[in-house]
Amino acid sequence: MTATNTDIVYVAGQSAPAKPSFLARNRHYVLLLPGVLWMLVFLVMPLLMMLYVSFWTQTTFAIHSTLTLKSWVTFFSSDTYVEALMRTLRIWLIVLGLTFAIGYPTALFIGQFVRDKTVQTILLVACVIPFWTSFLIRVLAWRPMLGREGAINIVLMKFGVISHPISQLLFTELSVIIGMVQIYVVFMVGPIAFMLARIDDSLIEAARDLGASPMTIFRRIIFPLSLPGVTVGAIFVSVMVLGEFATSAALSGRKVNLLGNIIVTQVGSLKWAFAAVAGVVLTVVMAAVIAGLLRLVDLRREL
Amino acid sequence: MHQLKGLRLVLAAYTALFIAFLYGPFVIMAILSFQQGPEGGPQFPIIAWSLFWYKHVLGIAPPSRVAPLPIGEALTRSLILAFATMVVSTILGTLTAQAFRRRFKGSSFVFYLIILGMMVPGVLLGLGMALVAEQAGIPRTWWGTAFVLHVVYTYPFCFLVMLAIFNRFDASVEEASWSLGVTPATTFRKITFPMIFPGVLSAMLFAFTLSYDEFPRTLFTAGSQVTIPIAIYGTFAVEIHPNLFAFGVLTTLFSFALLTIYGVLMALSVRRAAARSIGLQEEIA
Repeated sequence: MTATNTDIVYVAGQSAPAKPSFLARNRHYVLLLPGVLWMLVFLVMPLLMMLYVSFWTQTTFAIHSTLTLKSWVTFFSSDTYVEALMRTLRIWLIVLGLTFAIGYPTALFIGQFVRDKTVQTILLVACVIPFWTSFLIRVLAWRPMLGREGAINIVLMKFGVISHPISQLLFTELSVIIGMVQIYVVFMVGPIAFMLARIDDSLIEAARDLGASPMTIFRRIIFPLSLPGVTVGAIFVSVMVLGEFATSAALSGRKVNLLGNIIVTQVGSLKWAFAAVAGVVLTVVMAAVIAGLLRLVDLRREL
Repeated sequence: MHQLKGLRLVLAAYTALFIAFLYGPFVIMAILSFQQGPEGGPQFPIIAWSLFWYKHVLGIAPPSRVAPLPIGEALTRSLILAFATMVVSTILGTLTAQAFRRRFKGSSFVFYLIILGMMVPGVLLGLGMALVAEQAGIPRTWWGTAFVLHVVYTYPFCFLVMLAIFNRFDASVEEASWSLGVTPATTFRKITFPMIFPGVLSAMLFAFTLSYDEFPRTLFTAGSQVTIPIAIYGTFAVEIHPNLFAFGVLTTLFSFALLTIYGVLMALSVRRAAARSIGLQEEIA
């Protein structure tokens, strides 16, 4: 048996050098090449181009490649743009806080209280199913919910909670926040539930045997162990909320302008340099946020 | 923790509420899609139940003041684009994941470069690509500039799915095949591919659905020939009508049809694998 094995290895070993050895030696680089090239040309180059164009000279109808800081100065001395930046940061913080506060209990239930794996999967799938409806349709679906004659107002009036319909529900910052929370909260629930479900039961049993109260168990064991999930969820939510513009366009009647909306408007009026400045600002904010979140938890070690 | 019956009930009730929050708007939308047309607006109360807006979407309603959704050609474009994106990003993802089965220099650079594709907000990529196209004099089209960005977006998902599959993959089966003198190409076709097929299917599903619904990357790069999401976005500025809701219900049903096909293919491939292993066992016996 051993003899046959070595024979086969010998034969295979002999036939190998006959092939182009360069390809064989660098096989994984050949496999990598198409993907890396694609990303360099279609991902890195556009981003660099954006940075470059942000220093170009913008005239009313065109841009030319004379380098200048004028667009940057215009951006930071304009109330509209700085306000949009501040509003983006504020809405991001609120949505991040709310998705965490609203999502965590659900994740806790799915990850810790549901012991049956099938039920766990069913609950998670139930959370994901709405994603098979187009994103834009899901955003628009909030209009008949929140409007003056919307479902929420009708229900509240029927139960006598309010006597007049609340008109602040739609076309305000509040409606944008409600829409974003509903769309993105699942990205918070998923990673947290995943981390919670991985916690070793014996850890919790040991703590209980040693007399720890449920609150202490939560504070000292369950919550710290779920933190990597919170970080991943926070990164997902942050990346998506910071780059948002469709939700605010649909639910604020173009009254709430985020950085994303500024970019869309500037591209629409062919102000490429301004759009590029807003884009670079957005990139910097996003990079800072992600770097900050990664500092909190060392993901590569935890996952 | 598991003896806390009270807390358990509270959390269960909360989770039910949470799921209602996720589904609420869609249910309201589905109800309003049966609004009477063309007079009925996108709000309560329902004047009379009717299928008018469904007929309107499908183009068989009598002409009215509400312009029909420009979906015929847009839908074709979206489907072609999603299909092409699916094929290219699944191939790229599989190739790259295959390379990551061995350690190599610069692997973390490549890893982060690819992950960047799903992290960068679509509006930034769309803007960057529009700038490049503008300066290079390339026309912006859905099958060109938009397509390459769709792949940039979906390829990282395919890569991660395939990476997870290869991590659980027993390499000794392949080695056995090679050591028996089977060429790498045949080994891939006969051994590797059947084993990773469920993963490939998941990667394809991911890529297709993400591309089909993709919108911020497409907005600046598709030019004048719109895809479905861009067509919907175009209706944001003007008054909305229940025909959008009917369209939403129809596309959701379409997605479920797609999911069902995926489920059936998955079940078939699992059953075939089971049958094959039984057949092999019988041969050995």
